[in-house]
Amino acid sequence: MKRRSKTRRKARSQPRPAGRGKSRGKPDAIDALVMASAQALALPVDPAWHSGIRFNLQLVLTLAARIDEFALPDEAEPAPVFHA
Amino acid sequence: MPETAAIDLAWSTAADVAATVAAGSSTAENVVEATFARIRRRNPLLNAFTAIIEERALARARALDEAGARHEGLPPLAGVPFAVKNLFDIAGLTTLAGAKISRDAPPARGDATIIRRLEAAGAILVGALNMGEYAYDFTGENVHYGPSHNPHDLERMTGGSSGGSAAAVAGGLVPLALGSDTNGSIRVPASLCGIFGLKPTYGRLSRARTFPFVASLDHVGPLARNTRDLALAYDAMQGYDAEDPVCGQRPTEPVAPLLDRGSEGLRLAVAGGYFRTGAFPEAQTALARVAAALRVTDEIEIPEAKRARAAAYVITAAEGGTLHLGRLRTRGRDFDPAVRDRLIAGAMIPAAHVAKAQKFRRWYREQVLALFAKVDAVLAPATPCPAPLIGQQTFVLDGVELSVRANLGIYTQPISFIGLPVAAVPVPLAPLPIGVQIIAAPWREDVALRIAHALEKLGVVRANKPSVKGGK
Repeated sequence: MKRRSKTRRKARSQPRPAGRGKSRGKPDAIDALVMASAQALALPVDPAWHSGIRFNLQLVLTLAARIDEFALPDEAEPAPVFHA
Repeated sequence: MPETAAIDLAWSTAADVAATVAAGSSTAENVVEATFARIRRRNPLLNAFTAIIEERALARARALDEAGARHEGLPPLAGVPFAVKNLFDIAGLTTLAGAKISRDAPPARGDATIIRRLEAAGAILVGALNMGEYAYDFTGENVHYGPSHNPHDLERMTGGSSGGSAAAVAGGLVPLALGSDTNGSIRVPASLCGIFGLKPTYGRLSRARTFPFVASLDHVGPLARNTRDLALAYDAMQGYDAEDPVCGQRPTEPVAPLLDRGSEGLRLAVAGGYFRTGAFPEAQTALARVAAALRVTDEIEIPEAKRARAAAYVITAAEGGTLHLGRLRTRGRDFDPAVRDRLIAGAMIPAAHVAKAQKFRRWYREQVLALFAKVDAVLAPATPCPAPLIGQQTFVLDGVELSVRANLGIYTQPISFIGLPVAAVPVPLAPLPIGVQIIAAPWREDVALRIAHALEKLGVVRANKPSVKGGK
C-alpha cells in the first residue's frame, strides 16, 4: 500500500455538487437549501452558524450523490432497521 | 491497601483480578480502594472519568467479600472494576452523553441492562467516562468536559467517541470499560490507545437504557487489555432483552471457552481495494504484521465499500439530526458548535437520499455476506493513522487534505454499516500503537475473538503499558 500522491488537494474538504457554481457573496443552491430548510423545520439558525452548516450539508450531499448514481431496481428493499 | 498492591493491580487483567479475589489473595474491597486511588492520581492527566461511584462500589465489594467469607462460589468477574461511557444509564446519576444540555436531565432510575449483567457476574461499577458529545465524534474531544488524553502521549487524541473508555483502560485505571460504536466509536479509540475492543453483531448486546445516536447503527461493547477479558465480559453481557427492540432472540453463545482453538482451520483474507487506500505507513505496517503472523496471503475485495461508507455517513447525519431536532430548535447554543453544525446539516438532508442509502444498504449487505462463503474472517486497518494531536483539524489521506473528525472512521464505517462483528486488536508500534480490525460474519464473534487470541499468543498484538506521568 502507498499513498498515491504527495500533492495535497482540498477536493473533498470543500466539495461542490455538480453543476452548481458558487460565486462569492451570492447564495447558491446549498445556501438556499440551508435557509429554506431552517424555515421549514422551524429551526433557528444564527447567521454565524451558516458557514459550518453549509460546509457539512455540502459534504453530505456530495456523499449522497455517490449513492444516488448507483443503480438499484425498483424492487430493492430498504433496510431501515438492520437485522444481521 | 498497601501501595505495592495498587501498583500490581494497575495492569492486571480482569481475569487475574477475579482469580485473585476468588483465591482470597486480595479482597474485592482492596481492589476497589486501589482502583479509586489510581483514578484520583491519574485521572487529572487523562480526563477519562466524569464521575466516580465510590459508595455503591465499596458496598458491592464488601458484599462480595462477605460471600467469599461464607465460602459461597464467586461469579466469574468477582471484584473486577469497570467503568462505562457516560451514555449508559447509571441509577441515581444523570446520563450526560457528553452533552452540556443533558446536565438538566433527571438522574437515571436504573442501570443499563449490560451494567446489570456485568454486575451479576461480579464486576463492580466504579464510574462514568468521558465521551464526544452525543457520540457524534471520532476524536475523543469535548468542548464541555475537555478532551480525554491518550495515555501513550498526553498531547494526542484518544479517538472517539468512547474516548474516556479507551483512556481509562489503556491508562491502567480499570481493566474493563464499556463503550458504544455507531460508526467506529469502540474500534477507533481502541486503535489509537493501543487496546482491544469488541463491536459485536448488531442486535447481539442490549442497548436498553443507553442514550441513542443512530438507532439503526448503534452497538455497545467492551474494551479491555486482552482478548480473554473481552470474551469474559462479552459472555456475561449476552442474552435477549425485551427492552431493546432490536436485541436478537438468540441463545447465549459463550466465547471464552473457545479462545484456545485459535485460528486453526479458519479461512482468512486481507481486505483489498478501498481498504488498501489512504492508510498511513503505520496502518499498513500493522496490517502486514498481523497478516504475516497468521500467514494470510489472500486478498478479498469488499464490493462498494467506499459507497457503503458514504451511505453510513448520510444515514448517520440524517438520523442524528432527526434525533436532536427538538434540542437544536431550543438549545442550539448549548451544543458543541462542531457537532451542532453537523446535526443541523443532517436534519436538512432531502429524504430521497436517506431512502436510497437504506436501499443500498440491503444490497451491500447481500454482497458482503456472500463473501463469507469463501472466508471466515477479513483483516483490515482500524484507523488510517496513529493518534493525531489533540486539536488537529485535518490530515492528508491519499494526497487529499481531509477533516480528522469526519474521517478517522473511514475503515470502520463500511463494516458497522451492516452490523458485522469486529475485534479491534492493537499492534504495539513505536512510538504509538495502532489497531487492526478482525471482521467476521454476523453472530460469529467467536471467530473474531479466536483470531485475536491467537495473535496475542503469537506476540503480534499486545496492549503495551504506557508510562503515564503521575503514577506507574
